[in-house]
Parts: sequence; C-alpha cells; structure tokens
Amino acid sequence: MIQIQYDTQRLSMRFFMLMLVLFIIQVGFGMLIALQHIDPALLAGTLNFNIARAEHLNLGIIWILSGFIGTILFVGPLLSKRELASPWLIKFLFYALVAVTIWNVIAQSFASSGIAGWWMGQPWIQEGLEYLEAGRVADIIILVGFSILAYVVLRTFPPRKEWNEIHWGLALGVVALTLVWIFGLFFIERQDVSEYFRWYVVHYWVEGVWEVIHISLIGFLLVLLFDANVKSVGYAVFWGVALVWLSGLIGNAHHYFWIGTPEFWQFWGSLFSALEPLPLIFCFWHIYLDAHNDRKPLKNAPAFYFILGSVVLEQVGAGILGFTMTFALTNVWSHGTWVTPSHAHLALFGTFGMLGIAAAYYAVPLMRGLKDYDERMGKLAFWLVFTGMLGMAFAFALGGTVQVFAYRTLGLDWFGGDIFPAMNFFKVLVPVFGTLFTIGGLLIAYDLITMGYRAPAGAPAKTVHANPGGTRFATGWGRYLTGYESGIWLLGMWFFGAVITFGLLSFNLASVQAGNPTLPYLLASIGYPGLLLVTLLFVWRFLASMESRASEPATILDGPSSQALGQAG
Amino acid sequence: MTCAPGKPCEEGRKRRGAFGILGVMALIFVALSVASFLKSRNQAVPANVSYGVHSAVDGKRVFQAYNCMGCHTLLGNGAYLGPDLTNIYEHAGPAWLEAFLPSAGGWPTATAVQVHLQGSGPSAAGGTNSLDAYFKQYPGAAERVHRRGGGTTHMPNLSFRPNEVARLIAFLKYTSEMNTEGWPPKPKVDGLGFALATPMPGLAAADAGAGNPAAGPDAQAAIDPAAHGGQLVKQSGCTACHAPDTTRLVGPGWGGLYGSTVTLADGSTVQADDAYLAASIRTPDAQVASGYPPGLMPSYAAMLDDDQVNAIVAYLRTLSGAGQ
Repeated sequence: MIQIQYDTQRLSMRFFMLMLVLFIIQVGFGMLIALQHIDPALLAGTLNFNIARAEHLNLGIIWILSGFIGTILFVGPLLSKRELASPWLIKFLFYALVAVTIWNVIAQSFASSGIAGWWMGQPWIQEGLEYLEAGRVADIIILVGFSILAYVVLRTFPPRKEWNEIHWGLALGVVALTLVWIFGLFFIERQDVSEYFRWYVVHYWVEGVWEVIHISLIGFLLVLLFDANVKSVGYAVFWGVALVWLSGLIGNAHHYFWIGTPEFWQFWGSLFSALEPLPLIFCFWHIYLDAHNDRKPLKNAPAFYFILGSVVLEQVGAGILGFTMTFALTNVWSHGTWVTPSHAHLALFGTFGMLGIAAAYYAVPLMRGLKDYDERMGKLAFWLVFTGMLGMAFAFALGGTVQVFAYRTLGLDWFGGDIFPAMNFFKVLVPVFGTLFTIGGLLIAYDLITMGYRAPAGAPAKTVHANPGGTRFATGWGRYLTGYESGIWLLGMWFFGAVITFGLLSFNLASVQAGNPTLPYLLASIGYPGLLLVTLLFVWRFLASMESRASEPATILDGPSSQALGQAG
Repeated sequence: MTCAPGKPCEEGRKRRGAFGILGVMALIFVALSVASFLKSRNQAVPANVSYGVHSAVDGKRVFQAYNCMGCHTLLGNGAYLGPDLTNIYEHAGPAWLEAFLPSAGGWPTATAVQVHLQGSGPSAAGGTNSLDAYFKQYPGAAERVHRRGGGTTHMPNLSFRPNEVARLIAFLKYTSEMNTEGWPPKPKVDGLGFALATPMPGLAAADAGAGNPAAGPDAQAAIDPAAHGGQLVKQSGCTACHAPDTTRLVGPGWGGLYGSTVTLADGSTVQADDAYLAASIRTPDAQVASGYPPGLMPSYAAMLDDDQVNAIVAYLRTLSGAGQ
C-alpha cells in the first residue's frame, strides 16, 4: 500500500467527511419525501414536500461535488508530482462550501411562504427551479467556489505539454464545471427559454462535466488500485471523454422534446442521445480490462466494490435506463412520471455518489496511516446501498409504468383519488428499499468517519480462505471472469433494456390506447426486474471472482496478461 | 481503442480532431437553438398573456417563489407528487382555479366555482358566468367539482398574498397556450369508465336525491335550520377555508366565533352577532377582520337566499361553544 506522499493530499479529508455528513442528511430527506408520497399529510404545513425535495436534490448535488473535490485534491498532487497550489484557498473553499450549504438549506424553506427574495429582477434567496433551487446568493458563492477549484487544479498541474490524458480530462472537467454553471444565473421570463437554459446546467453538468470528471477519476483510481499503466488508461480516458462530449453535446436535445421547442429536436435528441451509452459501455469494458491486468488479490476491497458499483450503475442507470426513455416515441410516455426517477436515482447515486465513496474508501485509510483495515463493514455497506438502490429503482419504474397507463393513457388526473391508489404498492416499496439503503449509508458514514479511531474488531482484516491443496483454482461462482463472460452479462443487461424500451413503445399501440395495459405491464414486469437482477448477479459474480484471487496459488499472480499490458510506468 | 505503452498513439492529433468535430456539432446545436426561438414560430410568450391586469411574467415569479415545481411537473419537468400543470387552465378554467388556489386544502364545490364566476376576472376570461356553460367549456372543472368537490386535497393551504392567485392563473393561462408538440398525449378513451378510476363518491346519494327533488333543502330547513346550515356550508365550499373549531385554515375558524368580539382591519371592534355574520357572508369586504386580506373571500349574496344565510348563521351559533 502506498503512503501519503504529499501533505496537501490531506486537505481532501475534510471534503470526504463533509460528503458523508451531507450524504446522511440527504438520505434522511429522501426517506421523508418517500413517506410523504405515501401520506401527503405527513408534516404538511410544517415541512412541505416541495421543500424537503429541494433539500434532497440540492444536498445530493453538494455531497457529490464534495466527493469530487475531495478526490481531485487527493489525486491532484499524485498526478502533478508536487503539492497542491494555494492550500489556503482550499481551506477557504471548504468553509465557503459549509456556509453555502447551511444557507441554502435554510433558504429553501422560504418557498412555503413564497419568498424568493426578488431584487434587481433576480431571486436571491431561492428560485424554485428543479435542481437549481438555490437563489443567487448561493449561486454566486458556488461560482466563486468552482473558480477556486479550477484555479487550484490548473495551478497544481504541470505545464500543459507534460499533461497526460487524465490531466486533460480533469482540467476540461473543472473548467467546464464553472462555465456551465453561469447559464443558471439568470431569471428568464419565457418558460421554454427558461427550461432550455436550465438543461444547459443540469444536462451538461451530469452528462458532460460530471461524466468527464468521473471517467478521469475512475481511470486514475484504477491506476492506483491495480498499478495499471497510466498511458493505456489515459488513452481510454481520452476516448471516454471524446465519446461523452460528441454524443452528449447534441444529446441534450432529449430535454427539448416537449418544452415548447420545435419538433426537429425529437430527431436530433433521439439520434444523439441514443449514442450516449457508448462511452459508458467503453468505460464498463475498461474496468474489466484494468481489473484483469493481473491476478493479484484486491488491495482495498471496499474501494474497488464502489468503483465497480459506480461503473455498473452508470451502465445500467444512465446508459440502459436512459436509453429506454431517450426516444421521442418512448419519452412521450415516460416524461413527467415515476419512470424517470428510476433512471435518475441509479444514475446519479450510482455513477457519481459511489465514485466519491470509493475514493473515500481509498484515501481515508491512507491518510489515517492504516496499513490495513477491517473491510467487512465496507463490503456489507456496499451490498446494502447497492441492493437498496436497485430496489428503489424497481419500485419507481413499475410504479411509473402504472402511472403512465392511468395518467396518460386513461387521462385520470386525480392524484389523490385515482393515481395514488393505483401506485400505492410501489410507493410503499420505495421507503422499504430506502431503509436498506439508509442502513448501508449509515454504515458507510460510521465506518469511514471512525476508521482508525475505533477498537479493532479482532477478526483478520483480510479473509484468506483455508486452502489445503494450495494450488486449487477457484471454481463455480468465484472462478476467473473472462472477458467473453462479461460480454454475455452486458448483453443480458441490454436485452432486458430492449424489453423495457419495447414496453414503453407499446404504449403507442392502438390496443393499449383503447385501455388494455397487458402488453406494457407484461414487458415492464419482465424488463425491469430482469435488468436489475442481472445487474445484481453480475456484480456479485465479478466481486466473487475478484475475492477468490486471495486463495489462488501464488505462481500465477503475475499472469501473461500483465506483461502484455505492461506494468505501471 | 487501446494503446499499448511505447506505441505512438497520437493523442494530441486525435484530441484536436475531436475538438474539431465537437465544434461542428456545437454549430449545429446553436443553429437549431436559434431556429427554436424565432418569432415566426408563433410560440406563446408570457409578456403577451395576461389575466385581468396581471401578466404571466409576474405569474412565473410567483410560480418559482412557491417552488410549485417541487411537487408538480410543468411541461413534464418537476416533481411527481401532484399533477402536471401545463394545461390545467385549459382543462379547469379560471373560475375553478380562483376557487381552488386560495384554499388548496379542499376541492371547490359547484357553489364555490359559481361564486368566482361572478367576479370580473373569470367571467371576462372565461366568457361566461353561467355554471353550466362554464362546465361545458371546461370539462375538467366539471369532473373536479362532481367527483372531488367538498373533499380534502393532498395540497397544503398556501397563504398567497393579494394578486398572487391571479398572477399564477395568468402564468398557467400562458403555459396552456404553449405549443408543446403534442405533449401530454391526448387520451383516446374516457378513463373514468375504467377500474383504476375511483368510483364517484356520493354518486348513489346524488341519485337518491334526484329521485325526489321536492324533499330538497327547503323541506329540511323546515325541520332544523342549524342542520340545514351545516349541509349548506359543505355544499357551498365554505369548509374549504373555515374549520368548525378555532383552527385557521384560510379564513378564521368558526369555533367560538358567534358572539365573540371581532377586531376589524381598521382597528374597530364589532360583535359577531346574527347581523354581522350574515353581512360577512353577503358582503365580506365591507368589514374585514384584522389579519385577513380584503378580497380573499368572495361575496355569496347572489348564491344564497335569506333563508339559507339565516340557516348558516344558525349553524354557526351552534359552534359558539366549540373550541373554547
């Protein structure tokens, strides 16, 4: 295990801790709004749903960003082979982040009395736009914060001619992060124009900037975990970033189908955003390659668990579920229903949240100077949040399918009388799986916050399986995972993704529109559980094969493949 | 798309190429965007839409200030707790919205909608002040009144300031005028005939009542004015704003109101006797209680005859001990 080489890497610790605290608070708000969906009278008038939801969204964005910042600060010196520039600015950034978070949590509550803080035509306290609820006061502080981050990263990096592809990815990411935010800083009178620019921030952040930062950081974490070659990982990062931007730039058009913009966006959006899974498939394939560079046991299992979770949920949540609803003919049904949060939860928490947690699991033990730590709690927590999130996505998706039929096909628009009773079973499932998720989240926070401070549990940190023969290869579920088999698993996921897509398409059929929901219900109840189960089993299979490396004979630890791809340079 | 160490991978050249293609794509995107907002598209714009004297632009500010998008979708974007609001103006119309929004915790009854049809705003915008004609023009209002009228909603009461309701209606009028390329899709069937639709509450009761119209309100009034008043306050939608105890919903609670001393907005006080209560029902703005904005409660003078007003006052009298 490597040591901390640069003192300023330790500045990332506070951002990881802030991330964990905000994560738990965000999950708490999520549980509250899940319960309010079941009983809208819960805390009505005290903490209305719209305010709790605004907190849930904004804290979600802030803790993910906090995780990004922590990871960037941790890897920045390693990438640059020198200390971070301007540590005092980073400390200022931290306090600004804490202050703006507290301010924004309080500011959102003004929505219940309709106070936006209008001044000079702008809402300064809160502005009631989904994801961009923060008012101008917070917006401007956040802009300053992003500028600080971009400045620190660019100042820390070596001169540009020495950049590798990971430098490029991160540099483009942090600069674009700042620039894109500017589009959210104006009150716009027209609803269509206002939505048009709102998606500049939301879409280009998530599907442009965040994904670019994600690919770069995943790439570098793989370099650290598996001693993969920086150059070959960097080349993959280059292709990932290129594909993200080339598909995502016009892919934003999938938000412009129904907001009052012309019909031609349906063509451009359907075409380009159908290409958006390409970089994700590429990233998925690369994590397989990098993890199978050699057959050494995992150095830090929870960190790898969450990296794998991040890449797989990016594939499933962002890639496949995003694909199912990206065509105008499917989106016309899924748009504005519970079908969309199944995609959004898997994609946002899965891709970006798990990355921050993975980085924390990698960095925190190093910064606390632990040679080894008890990995069991981290592994357990991974399975809890992973299954919890898959379960919530399942509940959202099937509840959403029922909603599409009742709300769009039948045109019933009495939510309390018609829609809620129809969706009720799935509404109850959300907090049920949410509880699993919450327990997992609490375990993560407890494990990482107290790591190194609590008494050792007494059990060996790494479970080395008793292996009397000493030369036996793992068989069955834990056997070596070949690339061919991974491809089959991926194909399985996409098969069920196709079933879901056809399910959404089937709402266009005359028989369904005449009131017969059999086909969409059938396809959805095959597609969603199928996709989520394949995902669960694949991750289980992948991790079982990684775990069984610990008991493999030492002679094959340096397999031929490691020479083909080369050692860390 | 892998590159072995030591091999020339020409990242720099490929990066420049990717930026080049990206630039072309950005040009396409900008061109499409410019075409999207040309005047010749004739898309509705809020600056040209108003409701009475209120502009849809002001309405958008109200819409954002209350974070309506945090529960509802608009153009399909937002949260999924409540229904989409894009076309609610087109479906339910201004009078229904005027009756609903100030007391969003309760569904408006027919009387509540009719009261608002008297106002200049809805009748000018809706073109009618007959309830039947209004329901024909806005079938969504008829469905809401007949199925839900008098019930409670899942929406909390919001304490709108004067004119905010009218501004919101202006904004919703604007969004319903927008061309959204056919979204949301128009249902091809009448969903109310399907099992997922809640059976109409009180359908059986309405049938029974329709059987002998002679035994209507008048017959009951002869028996007990207070009981009749208790029915009238539900039918007229009074209970959407007034609680039978001392709770303040939108207007003051009725518990202990009768006989109490009411402080008016101008600082004077008045005894809440028969005459004051009857006058408050007929001309609410004449003597507004302190702490309540004028114009919030509509006049029921044209809706309720003398007997009915007296019955309601009699009902209020029975609540004089409640909640004290």
